[in-house]
Amino acid sequence: MRYVPRQPRDDVNVSKEHPLVEASTLFIGLSLIFLAIAVVLILLVDVVLLFVSPDKEVGLFESWSLSDYIATDAEDSRLQSLQGLTDRLARHWPESPYKYNVQIADSDELNAMALPGGTIVVTSGLLDAVESENELAFVLGHEMGHFRNRDHIRGLGRGVVLSIFFAALSGSDGGVNLGSSLSDLTLRGFSRGQEEDADEFGLSIVNSEYGHVANSWRFFERLGDKELGVATYLSTHPSPGDRVNQLIQQAGGNGWAVDGAVVDIDW
Amino acid sequence: MNFGVPFIILVVAYFVGTILERRHFDDIRRREAEVKNFPVLTFETLPTDWQVGSAGLATGSVVVSLDYFKRVIAGLRALVGGRIKTYEPLLDRARREAMLRMVERAKREGYDAVVNARLETSRLANSRGNGKGTAGVEMLAFGTAITLNKRW
Repeated sequence: MRYVPRQPRDDVNVSKEHPLVEASTLFIGLSLIFLAIAVVLILLVDVVLLFVSPDKEVGLFESWSLSDYIATDAEDSRLQSLQGLTDRLARHWPESPYKYNVQIADSDELNAMALPGGTIVVTSGLLDAVESENELAFVLGHEMGHFRNRDHIRGLGRGVVLSIFFAALSGSDGGVNLGSSLSDLTLRGFSRGQEEDADEFGLSIVNSEYGHVANSWRFFERLGDKELGVATYLSTHPSPGDRVNQLIQQAGGNGWAVDGAVVDIDW
Repeated sequence: MNFGVPFIILVVAYFVGTILERRHFDDIRRREAEVKNFPVLTFETLPTDWQVGSAGLATGSVVVSLDYFKRVIAGLRALVGGRIKTYEPLLDRARREAMLRMVERAKREGYDAVVNARLETSRLANSRGNGKGTAGVEMLAFGTAITLNKRW
């Protein structure tokens, strides 16, 4: 029996494909799959939430602990009068399904937001920046407008789904974090139309409370004059100049008085 | 989130791993050419016309580990299944290196051939992660080394 010498072949057990080709194929392919899943989930959450009645919504988010997501300051001395003002304003929308719970977020940003279940969050930065009760009343009325139009549960899917994804990625199993910073939650900006509707509702609330809408847009005038050099509010809301014009038009269109006594803030 | 450090490790692992792998394959091919005429066979029973002088155990083993790049790609691959192509050259190197070590040793000790050659592999558990991870794989080549009284 003869032995025929032969060297092992290189090309039998090793794939010819370059490792970087495999790496990029896998990475891009999996990314696309995850993206598609994310988009579907986001749309699903958004659609489902639209069918949730306000009563159900309140129950759904009852146990939702805001402090897990946002650094709220329960010790802030302004909290009580802020809640009082909100309750007073809420009387002008008696059919509201929500019982408002106001929280002060410990943040230098100038912002306010409407969160599911009837929670209104105002940043301490905004409270520092307002100069009269009327300005603040308009901000609160504007957020109530988001509740009335149910804007606050629209676009929530993005935040929920993305936070689940990030939690999965970072491997944290300590519950889903709905955005570790304020801006994460507020990134779900509303459309211009939604903002305008909320503005008009806010003005009507202010008008019912004070009999006029004076100083409602004073805050935005100062924002526009760069007296308040903060960009955060702008990123999720219309630009102050346009907004002031739009508010003046809305006040004029509804025949609301633009002059009147301004109430000082009691802190 | 900080993905920067793992990414740098990934890039470094890819380049270092690629260079080492290429050099190892070059080395394997060179040594395989040197021992090309040394028969390694899987017979359990010898052909009747072979006259065996002496016999002994020949072994060669090698322990290989993954680089970070291969591990990450294999992790992605595990999500969808399929051939883990980045592992293939690694295991090919391990098999051929183990065989070479066995052959080189048998040759050095004056044997003429290895028959009943076998390959075995075992996983080395990682001491971290409750032994769930894989620290590496051992590839063991072994067979019966023989001297032949009459060469063909």
